Amino acid sequence: MNMEEMLVTCQFEKWLYDEAQLLDDIEFDHWFDLMHHSLRYQMPVRINKEGVERPDYSTDMFTFNDDIELLKLRVERLKTDYAWAEIPPSRTRRFVSNVRVKDYMEGEKAAVKSYLLIYRSRSSDIKHDLISGERNDEFIFEEGKWKLSKRVFIVDQSTINTRNLAIFI
Amino acid sequence: MIKTDKPLEEMTKQQVVNHLCATVKPEDGVIPAYLLGDPKVYEIEHEKVFLKTWVFVGHESEVPNKGDFMTRELAGYSLIITRDGEGEVRAFYNMCTHRGMKLCRADKGNKSMFTCPYHGFNFKNTGELVGVPLQKDIYGGMLDRTTMGLHKVKLESYKGLLFGTWNEEAEPLEDFLGDIRWYLDILVGRAEMEVIGVPQRFIVSSNWKVGSDNFVGDSYHTMVTHGSIAKLGMVPNATYSKRGFQIHTENGHGLNLGTPNPDFAFPEELKEEFKCNLSAEQYGVLSNLKNMIGNVFPNLSFLISHTKIKDRFISNTSIRMWRPIGHDKMEVIAWMLVEKNASQDWKDRSRDSFILTFSPSGIFEQDDTEVFTDITEAAQGPMPFLKNLTYNYTMGLHREPVEFVGPGVAYDDKFTEASQRNFYKYWLELMTK
Repeated sequence: MNMEEMLVTCQFEKWLYDEAQLLDDIEFDHWFDLMHHSLRYQMPVRINKEGVERPDYSTDMFTFNDDIELLKLRVERLKTDYAWAEIPPSRTRRFVSNVRVKDYMEGEKAAVKSYLLIYRSRSSDIKHDLISGERNDEFIFEEGKWKLSKRVFIVDQSTINTRNLAIFI
Repeated sequence: MIKTDKPLEEMTKQQVVNHLCATVKPEDGVIPAYLLGDPKVYEIEHEKVFLKTWVFVGHESEVPNKGDFMTRELAGYSLIITRDGEGEVRAFYNMCTHRGMKLCRADKGNKSMFTCPYHGFNFKNTGELVGVPLQKDIYGGMLDRTTMGLHKVKLESYKGLLFGTWNEEAEPLEDFLGDIRWYLDILVGRAEMEVIGVPQRFIVSSNWKVGSDNFVGDSYHTMVTHGSIAKLGMVPNATYSKRGFQIHTENGHGLNLGTPNPDFAFPEELKEEFKCNLSAEQYGVLSNLKNMIGNVFPNLSFLISHTKIKDRFISNTSIRMWRPIGHDKMEVIAWMLVEKNASQDWKDRSRDSFILTFSPSGIFEQDDTEVFTDITEAAQGPMPFLKNLTYNYTMGLHREPVEFVGPGVAYDDKFTEASQRNFYKYWLELMTK
């Protein structure tokens, strides 16, 4: 990796770390500000397939398939007094790693892959949930900032071992 | 309070059954909490409910082509469901008849042969054993392959809904479903329906009955548990859930019909197809339907939900199974169905409304699972049994049924617990048989 590539990678690592912090700190409005208006926020359902047949996820059924309006709705809902799934909020810790910049045009757009491990603890339950997967992110540079325009989260379980996804991936 | 001589775990099966008879009083609206927390009750349930009744396993549209297969579970046992070369849908126990290895380990695919990973025994998708490696040499030509086909599982379909049972004496599926069929016609028989993609699957630390109970008759919780939805303007107001009818039929089935609806909840351009497939009375219900929430005993819940998303009305149709995997744990498997002849725009919007409302990330579903989990936790261990803690299911006991255009026992709004009482009545009948 040359110096330029290192700097670019570093830049997106920082973006993803900052995003993780906002989500873990339940700063959803600030997190939402990181999104581009053309957003597609997607999590396909994973499938067990024979052998090496790919893709091993559904191309037409998703656990999330939001545009910017639907994502906004989720954020607004969490602020009502009735969003029981997150009252009190889960304690989450998002570990982001293996960040690789796949495509980069300075000041325009970028495509970045990373791994994500979410630790989730609810209430006084001593058992925790782990959600693991790969993020395939796309960014658009707008008004001096990188905004997330697409996220496809490939979860590592075909049966998700957490009671709901009232949290963001 | 019922006096108990000894803890449940020390009772014989017959003593547990006697205790159920003494403490479970659906007709009086009394259901003890230990039903949701006790491993012994769960064990008896497996034998007397899940190994006896018809249990949902999938939809025919999930194996549309010859050679398609999918694996599913029936009362904790893996099935291979195939569509053979003649187009017939069959089910087999997913176990090699030679040494018992699980034959197929994929969720779905297309192939006409299944090869066992242990010794290479080869089975056709019709169940026949067609190949055994080195057969002539090692068995001396004495192996009778005709006795070694895959174990067939009884499978029947109602309007594309596939049900299986391990009980060879089970009544025909149509008899078991009985009058609930009239409403299932509206759900999945109104048009040619297809499953979009694959079902969603997730684990909830909840007893399965909490899910069935919620769908069969609990419209009351909508006001509070789903209060956020009304606040967002996706449904009219917090009490909209009361309007309509609650209906139950024999064998523990039941549903809640939300009516009226000033808007038509389904694709307008398919009105002719709906009219063709439904009776005039059924079409009348369909055209005035706001939502339909119910449960086919034991654990197949269904839903038509009509909400406003981005200022446009859209409905989605789904079925979900509360698959028990322990006394305090279940896998939720949720399929989304849509009219095959609907426009792509309708299909996409309907799917996205399903994902937004009823899926692991669904803003209805996620609040339900929170409640299910905590109810189950509170029912665990010996205390709820020893103290005979009970739930109150008396809502609507004072009410008389009304005349309704469809079959079953109907009440003229949805805030009653008659359907839950009916669910537990049949449950108790099976458990104590």
